[in-house]
Amino acid sequence: MRAPLLTRCSRAVADASEPGALRAIPATRIIGFIADAAQRWCDADFAPRVRATAAIEARLGYTTPVVDYALDRLFSGITRDALEAATSSELGSVAALDGVVERRGAPAAWARGVDRVVVVSSDTTVGVAIAPAVFALCAKCDVVVKDRSDALVAAFFSSLAQEHPAFAHAAQARAWHGGDDPDEDELLARADTVVAFGRDETLRTIRARCGVDARFIPFGHRASIGRLTRAEAEQLDDALAERIARDALLYDGEGCLSLHALFVHSDAARHGAASAGDETLAHVARVLAGACERVAVEFPGGSRAPGRAAQVGAYRSLATFRAAGGRGGVLRGGDATLVVDPPRDEPPPFLPRVLPLIAVPSDDAVAAYAAEQRLPVQALGVVAPDARAAALAERIGAVRVAPFGAMQDPPVAGHHGGAPRIAHFVRWIDRE
Amino acid sequence: MSAATPGELDARILAAIGAYELGDAAFLALARDLFSYQIANVAPYAAFARAAGFSAARLPARVEDIPAVPAAAFKEARLAAFPAHETDVWFETSGTTGGRGGRHELPTTVLYEAALVASFDRMLLADGARLRYLNLVPDPRERPHSSLGFMMGVVARERGDGADGWYLRGDALDVDGFLRGVADARASGVAVCVATTAFALVGLLDALAERGATIALPDGSRIMETGGFKGRSRVVERSALYADASVRLGVPVSSIVAEYGMTELSSQYYDAPDSRARVEPRVKVAPPWLRAVVVDGDGRPLPAGVVGAVRHVDLANRGSVIAIDTEDLGALVDASTGAQQAGLVLLGREQGAELRGCSLDAETLLARRG
Repeated sequence: MRAPLLTRCSRAVADASEPGALRAIPATRIIGFIADAAQRWCDADFAPRVRATAAIEARLGYTTPVVDYALDRLFSGITRDALEAATSSELGSVAALDGVVERRGAPAAWARGVDRVVVVSSDTTVGVAIAPAVFALCAKCDVVVKDRSDALVAAFFSSLAQEHPAFAHAAQARAWHGGDDPDEDELLARADTVVAFGRDETLRTIRARCGVDARFIPFGHRASIGRLTRAEAEQLDDALAERIARDALLYDGEGCLSLHALFVHSDAARHGAASAGDETLAHVARVLAGACERVAVEFPGGSRAPGRAAQVGAYRSLATFRAAGGRGGVLRGGDATLVVDPPRDEPPPFLPRVLPLIAVPSDDAVAAYAAEQRLPVQALGVVAPDARAAALAERIGAVRVAPFGAMQDPPVAGHHGGAPRIAHFVRWIDRE
Repeated sequence: MSAATPGELDARILAAIGAYELGDAAFLALARDLFSYQIANVAPYAAFARAAGFSAARLPARVEDIPAVPAAAFKEARLAAFPAHETDVWFETSGTTGGRGGRHELPTTVLYEAALVASFDRMLLADGARLRYLNLVPDPRERPHSSLGFMMGVVARERGDGADGWYLRGDALDVDGFLRGVADARASGVAVCVATTAFALVGLLDALAERGATIALPDGSRIMETGGFKGRSRVVERSALYADASVRLGVPVSSIVAEYGMTELSSQYYDAPDSRARVEPRVKVAPPWLRAVVVDGDGRPLPAGVVGAVRHVDLANRGSVIAIDTEDLGALVDASTGAQQAGLVLLGREQGAELRGCSLDAETLLARRG
């Protein structure tokens, strides 16, 4: 039930009356508090985590192993080292958050955190709002996060407040009503930086409600793809296949870092042979199907709304129809579907636990596909994140090259979405 | 055993249509014979059926077992049991998959016309009325490959008073022409049937609202609404649409009847008469030669009351494929679910359903491409 308007307004005033609660605390200590709180959340038996896990499962329909994995990866990455590394690489030093520091060849400067940060996650991705909130707190900002009904962010913020009471004022999670809520309008209008995750129309709406000077950091929906060279494909073994399967199946393929299409270099594709005769692709499909079956045991699929199930069924049925006519193939691996050689003039299906395998003669064809389908690529999964992979990533607009098995486990100190982690939350003050 | 000939099959289907009756055993027997005929004459369907483990030597034991092609398969291959040069009429399917269109080809319109008229008679003209048809659907003279236009052309020809009007030009509504048509009907004392897509009806009501106008269709008039909002940016709740239509056009809500059909089918569902007193949920009923099966994501039939994807088994689809899978969601209802009328409750395609995660989705990608 929503609070009466008067109460909500009073709360907003009270919140605003205690700004900058973290200002007096050295950044290294703030980082330490955050890392310590995250460490407690790494324990699967930690009571708040147990409650959050159940709530997330109820909200999203993901299975316990999947939610556990998500929380493990989320909180185990929030370490002192990672937070300091990201801060130092972007700001030059952690000390720059505390006051003016000398900088070689540049004016001395203070990376002073902005006053108010709002993080809005319209997505249902587990804990996606926590990373930007953590970095904003490292910058000593007051942070308000739109929390989901599972109250994961609120629970983590409570742990922070147990580390130091200043977090009780600086880090707030609120249930979000959306629409024309005046509280939300005020929060967004007064925010110095707004981080938003969501679909295009959601981001447009949020952007329109921000102040004209506010920094708006949008994270729209994106896709991720993988590539196997011919040699890698021919030598594909169970271990590598399981890493690929994990990238495709975790979170039912519904994250921007999920593997949505796997491109396989093959001689047959180079010579224009029919997919049915492509032995490389057939080998990959066979090994990968077995891997999917095993990974599906470790990470069982979540519940599916009837509409999504119908979409998956229709896509699989159409692929079966094509295969019956000699075009491509369909393999099942547990609850996953591998569609071999789908039509090139179609984008990936973006359906839960459905992975298209696309034979290509070279990286040029991967780049051509991404360009033709106008795919906004987030990550490129590869066996070896080498210079060749980086070159392909650059061509397809990807912002991350990751080894298979780690696509859905981005480092906290990395540039999610190609954006800085902490730089958006500070205002530089130069002392010349 | 040799497969039945097209003539023999057509005669049996026409008999069922004429009698408007087909028991379970007779339905299955005819369905199996049609399946045999189609896998003998529609090579892509035969290959698809073989992949599902069925052939002339192993026929489906139940209606639910008949291999159903996805509707999009019509865009992938020619699904016709006769040579291309024998095609009499073809209807163009909407291009919702990869932008490609498909064709539903008919060797003759005899079955198609018999099926549509028999259902229309019982579902829209049970009182025997001879109406004037004011159509907000494609004019078959301009768009001969629109199945909806063809259908209303046949109805107007067979059941109309000879003064039917067509008021849709491309996507543009001829509102003035429609209003003149209504005025003429009133002057003639003839009740009308407004045949319209949901989207065209919204357009008409918007136009009337802009003019501050309401009209009163002649007594005994009715509206046949079909088509939904697929591919449209604006979606209006059916309850709101019917309420507005009732007020602005002067017909009771119970005289607004939804038809549900597909280009890939030869037969149609209609709102059951007993469920028309309300707008939602209405129960769709099929003619005896058309059956709905609701299936899960793996194509397994679901019991009554459980929501899944709707599959159609349409015996009037003699010239193509009798079993078609759709992504439309629905649930069968009957006495076991507390429904007074057995049939199908449609739920659409969950438009706007919340997606989990931050992955791109096909809808967003298409929108970004413009």
